[in-house]
Amino acid sequence: MPRVFITGLGFITSIGNDAVSVTQSLRELRHGLELYPPFQTPEIPVKVAAPVRGFNTASTDAEDWTFPAGISIKRELLRGMSPHVVYAWCAMQQAIADAKLSEVDVSNDATGLYAASGGSPYLMGHMLERMHKLGVMRCSPLGIVASISGAVQFNLVAHFKIKGSSCGFASACASSSHALGFAYDDLALGRQKRMFVVGAEDGNMDAILPFAGMRALSLSTDPSTASRPFDTGRDGFVGTGGGVVLVLETEDEVLRRGVTPYCEVMGWGQSSDGHNVAISHPEGLGLRAAMTNALRSTGTAPEAIDYINAHATSTPIGDASEARALRAIFEPSGARPAISSTKALTGHGLSLAGAMESGFCALAVRHGFMPGSAHINQLDPECEGLNIIRTTLSQQPKFALNNVSGFGGANVSIVFKQAR
Amino acid sequence: MPDAATPNPGNAKPFLAAPKPFAPEDEASLREALKRCSPSAFESAVQYRKTGNPEHVPAVVIGIIERFVEPDLRIKLKDADDDLRLIEDLGIDSLTMMEIVILVEDVLQMSINNDELRNLRTVGDVKMFIDCKIRGLALPKPTKFLPIEQIAAVMPIQPPFLFLNEASVSSSGANGKYKISGQELFLQGHFKNNPVMPASIMLEALGQLAVLFLLEGATPEPGKVISSSMIYFTGCEGVRAHRVCRPGDILTLSIKPKRMKMPLATFEGAIRVGQEKAAIAEEITLTFGYAEAVVPPPAPDAVEVNGAATIKPTTPSATPLRAAASA
Repeated sequence: MPRVFITGLGFITSIGNDAVSVTQSLRELRHGLELYPPFQTPEIPVKVAAPVRGFNTASTDAEDWTFPAGISIKRELLRGMSPHVVYAWCAMQQAIADAKLSEVDVSNDATGLYAASGGSPYLMGHMLERMHKLGVMRCSPLGIVASISGAVQFNLVAHFKIKGSSCGFASACASSSHALGFAYDDLALGRQKRMFVVGAEDGNMDAILPFAGMRALSLSTDPSTASRPFDTGRDGFVGTGGGVVLVLETEDEVLRRGVTPYCEVMGWGQSSDGHNVAISHPEGLGLRAAMTNALRSTGTAPEAIDYINAHATSTPIGDASEARALRAIFEPSGARPAISSTKALTGHGLSLAGAMESGFCALAVRHGFMPGSAHINQLDPECEGLNIIRTTLSQQPKFALNNVSGFGGANVSIVFKQAR
Repeated sequence: MPDAATPNPGNAKPFLAAPKPFAPEDEASLREALKRCSPSAFESAVQYRKTGNPEHVPAVVIGIIERFVEPDLRIKLKDADDDLRLIEDLGIDSLTMMEIVILVEDVLQMSINNDELRNLRTVGDVKMFIDCKIRGLALPKPTKFLPIEQIAAVMPIQPPFLFLNEASVSSSGANGKYKISGQELFLQGHFKNNPVMPASIMLEALGQLAVLFLLEGATPEPGKVISSSMIYFTGCEGVRAHRVCRPGDILTLSIKPKRMKMPLATFEGAIRVGQEKAAIAEEITLTFGYAEAVVPPPAPDAVEVNGAATIKPTTPSATPLRAAASA
């Protein structure tokens, strides 16, 4: 089976709008959380979010939006976009440049794109309101394209002239890891030579606040500690948005083009809790099975894993469930891989999470560091026996593992390895 | 459903029986709707909404079209004639057309059916269409587009003396294009080692477009058919050539009828190359006559589908079917 490598990355995230600043934030544990202005009203109990910086997409009219210097998007393209599509579009351009891909490399039968996003509840809400108020025929002709959950791949596939496989994945917080996993499969099975993997979320009020109803959001008013996975005082996640793109290529393509990959994607595993529509299995059975499958299918022993980027979102139940799953996998062999949740810095990116944190793993493996798990004041006793690193270590992980869990109890684990 | 019993009002239904009083909040929402349009478009819209005077409508429509055209193409609208094409010249695709329609509907307080949009190909078509809707007039016959095969099929003039590659005919005139290929026989001698399109041939091309208008456009007298073998040139006035035209140039021809009364039809004509004026004729007059068979024999209805005549299956009438389908 062809080996698969990550050769390009693009980031629009709360901790940086390019790979260099993201790497620096991860190394120095700089978070991207703030008292989010739209939340600062008495009726909203949630105060902290982790928005991307430099973009203003507050208006329902895309032509009002402003972007960081150097980014301009023609009206013709913009009208089919929502905020997360803009972020993904920017990340896509970074990833293409980072991987040194020519136009022909991007647009051919053997290059595809898998994506994940929750769509744009914000623009969908606006469009439906317009429809009810002004009539069915007064909706923006591209309102649907811009707001449903496939918006990100509709736009990117069309604008970048993608000719290979393309589709979207909808497993909530696990979805962009599913995208990465199935992209790996397409490459390993010889169906494609190159795949773009995209995760994106609006990360604005309408994308984040509906989670308040299920009491999943942190009510903290302190941006510097609101997101604190594995801490005893954690009280929910902090929402974020953005766009991340990874370029996956087969070994043949890497050699043909003579590029230096970030890391190798060894393979992946998934499993489902079969337990609750929204709550993780208390013992983390599904995530345990996903890690077992990932390790088995890649022929990796638990003790080979050096670094784990945990899913841990800073919710009381979810983090405990993941801690139990990790203990079940690693304790028997006495392995003590370094574990951290970078969501302490970024907040939880929902559909974006898997792609974003896989991108972080690629940076860690390439640049030789393991980002610490920030904001832990008192470690949850559930983590007893786990090596949860509080500070960044300047060691190169040879093998890294990324976990995600989504609604419906979907779990995905992906194994990355130093490229050589 | 009581509405089902009333006949289809069709295109001629007036939209503004009595204009609603124009309130300050209307002005605010109008300003918001037209915020990316020129100030003159907004002013015209306010005037139209206050007075109901259709004279203000073209400025509104052009202002709205301009707002949806990519900035580098907007210059074309500055001194646009009505022949400016929405798709080819302005890059407006069908989705942008929908955006234009939604804003026009919103600003002019009217509603436009999808069916009505298909025949709008030029800025002139759009202006005419909106004007007819507002005044409650019947819509003009849609512009007919004729490729070279169809032109050759109806014209008494044939290659190598046919100087039209494509043409469109509406009720108000005709437009055509001819690319000077360089293979035209007369260019070998006009001039020696210096091929220049003769001005007389350019005048001939305008005349041919006028012939096409007589054969494909509206007949001066309903029920009568102009005979293609009875059209001849009689005279022209005010002909001026402004530009030397050579092989590779694409002549954009247009004619408009000035007077039409059996047996004479007088047109004005102009030729451009790109945006440059190439030649004009203040008057070109043709003589024509009607064919003997005045009433065509009863035949299955022919409908225009994308300019090609197709034969409909024999059904009692299309209208009741549509009504049934939408009931």
